[in-house]
Amino acid sequence: MRIEGKGAIDRTKPVSFKFDGKTYQGFKGDTLASALLANGVKLLGRSFKYHRPRGVLTAGSEEPNALVEVVGATNQTPNVRATVQEIFEGLNARSQNRWPSLRFDLMAVNDLAAPFLSAGFYYKTFMWPKALWEGLYEPIIRRAAGLGSLSGKHDEGHYEKAFAFCDVLVIGAGPTGLMAALTAARAGADVILCEEDRLLGGRLIADDATLNGKPAADWVAAVEAELRASPNVRIMPRTTVTGAYDGGQYGALERVGLHKGPRPDLPRECFWRITAAQTVLAAGALERSIAFPMNDRPGIMLASAVQSYLNKFGVVPGRRVTLFANNDGARVVARQLMAAGVSVAAILDSRPEASAVEDCPVYLGAQVTDTKGRHGLRAISGTHMGGEFQIETDLLAVSGGWNPTLHITCHMNGRPRWEASLAAFVPMENAVPNLKAAGACNGAFTTLACLTEGADAARAALISLGRNAVAVDQPKAEGMPYVITPLWQVAGKGRAWLDFANDVTTKDVKLAAQEGYQSVEHMKLRRSSRPRLRRWARGGGQMALRRSAS
Amino acid sequence: MRIPCPLCGSRDRREFYYYGSEDYLNRPTDQGTIEELDNHLFLRHNPAGITRDLWYHETGCTSWLIVTRNTITHEVLGSELVADRKKGA
Repeated sequence: MRIEGKGAIDRTKPVSFKFDGKTYQGFKGDTLASALLANGVKLLGRSFKYHRPRGVLTAGSEEPNALVEVVGATNQTPNVRATVQEIFEGLNARSQNRWPSLRFDLMAVNDLAAPFLSAGFYYKTFMWPKALWEGLYEPIIRRAAGLGSLSGKHDEGHYEKAFAFCDVLVIGAGPTGLMAALTAARAGADVILCEEDRLLGGRLIADDATLNGKPAADWVAAVEAELRASPNVRIMPRTTVTGAYDGGQYGALERVGLHKGPRPDLPRECFWRITAAQTVLAAGALERSIAFPMNDRPGIMLASAVQSYLNKFGVVPGRRVTLFANNDGARVVARQLMAAGVSVAAILDSRPEASAVEDCPVYLGAQVTDTKGRHGLRAISGTHMGGEFQIETDLLAVSGGWNPTLHITCHMNGRPRWEASLAAFVPMENAVPNLKAAGACNGAFTTLACLTEGADAARAALISLGRNAVAVDQPKAEGMPYVITPLWQVAGKGRAWLDFANDVTTKDVKLAAQEGYQSVEHMKLRRSSRPRLRRWARGGGQMALRRSAS
Repeated sequence: MRIPCPLCGSRDRREFYYYGSEDYLNRPTDQGTIEELDNHLFLRHNPAGITRDLWYHETGCTSWLIVTRNTITHEVLGSELVADRKKGA
């Protein structure tokens, strides 16, 4: 459902595309996920192991569920995240890991057999006799495993590689990154600003935040205009920094042509090797889910994703929204939804002492213990301080807190540190030489702290470069503290998913731990119960796992 | 990995060809013993820490370099031209 007047999409430019053979219409600026959600499509894929119906969970590159095949003239790209793929005229996408169709998938029999398909099932069952390993077991497992498929034809697309150099590399263009880039740019340093998204601004845009009493988008536009006018700044949108290497080198993957129709003059992707004297990591944070029974249905999304779809795309993927959270962030989402005219059925706050001032029912000390609706959420039930609740709802927004996106600080033997007040891991200082983490990826979860840390990190980088910093006005921003009471899992009868990508439930983790795979590195291989394919859920799953395993 | 070339400046390691330890420069004379020749050809230190290696700047100035680096931290500490070393010796 589209909301009038919301979103950074161009409503004057309709774009038609295909999903599973059916033609839909979206707008320029939509991702495949936002356009499908706007068209009321909630079921986008089947889960890895049990073939359970899955919908969109997130609004970014951390998406574990909504993986599709993009079919081109000569190539077929599997496992494309619908939340990242932008739509273009003629885009042809297909659901995967289902047969014969997305709504009716015969392999879903695995879901009924789930009690027998425990962690490590494949390792334990297909051991004997040895003679059958290659002839019988491997083909069976291979057919069942994996998600997408390739065309089998030669890929005639072009792929490019390139080198770049700078004084200051800024990774991420949210409040932290923009402030860092602006500070470094005004001092005359050569700056490269990499942003994974098509738009600069990060959560400033997704949250519809306020800076200087005005929409944050105004400030973002002004900063972007100044950076674009500076000859010493290169802005690289749609570019994901993938790794940190020796000597200040970083790998980065740019989506050059993936968001456009086939163009012979454009490479599909470009791999950059960026050499930076100083780096500011401003990669932000990822929201995590809560492991409650049957938490994987289409229509159960992260609260931040619901907020992103509302503010970036003008889409609300439901008519009656419920929010389930252990922190204050979801309250803002609820207020924004109500202001946009969306019906909010209830706010379920797991904290018994939280406030209840919103203009809708607020249940405190609440826990969701069951959900209903196979192809799309219909109802939830659970308990709260005053008893039990049953709510008819088609969209449940979940927030279990935030995890700093600190991966790059772990690339050179760095180990993150547990910060109890945030209930999250934060990066260690100097984990990567000449790199400074700032803002949300450093555990600073308010816009005010992000802006300050971004400017400070850039000033520290300038001092190391022997340059003088020039004063930069910091916009006025909220500094509402981040208050969270950890809630890792809800006890109940049904299965509670921790890692959606690998179909791993809390039970699998317990079993793996019982069998001696307590080290996170071992556990993540064992519990996925798929030889060879060891996709690892980004963000939430991993961090929640560490806690529930300990 | 970046390697500082005394003539070309800091360059990507893909421009260089790695030869081996600096020890290859210290060839025993033909008056030496068979053990010395054996040491020269086959016995190499494997230090955890500072090491000095020969690199050839193949797609750059085509100079032979001695590059000092730390095998624990992967830090490249400096480089000099083999030609300069010969002159000084």
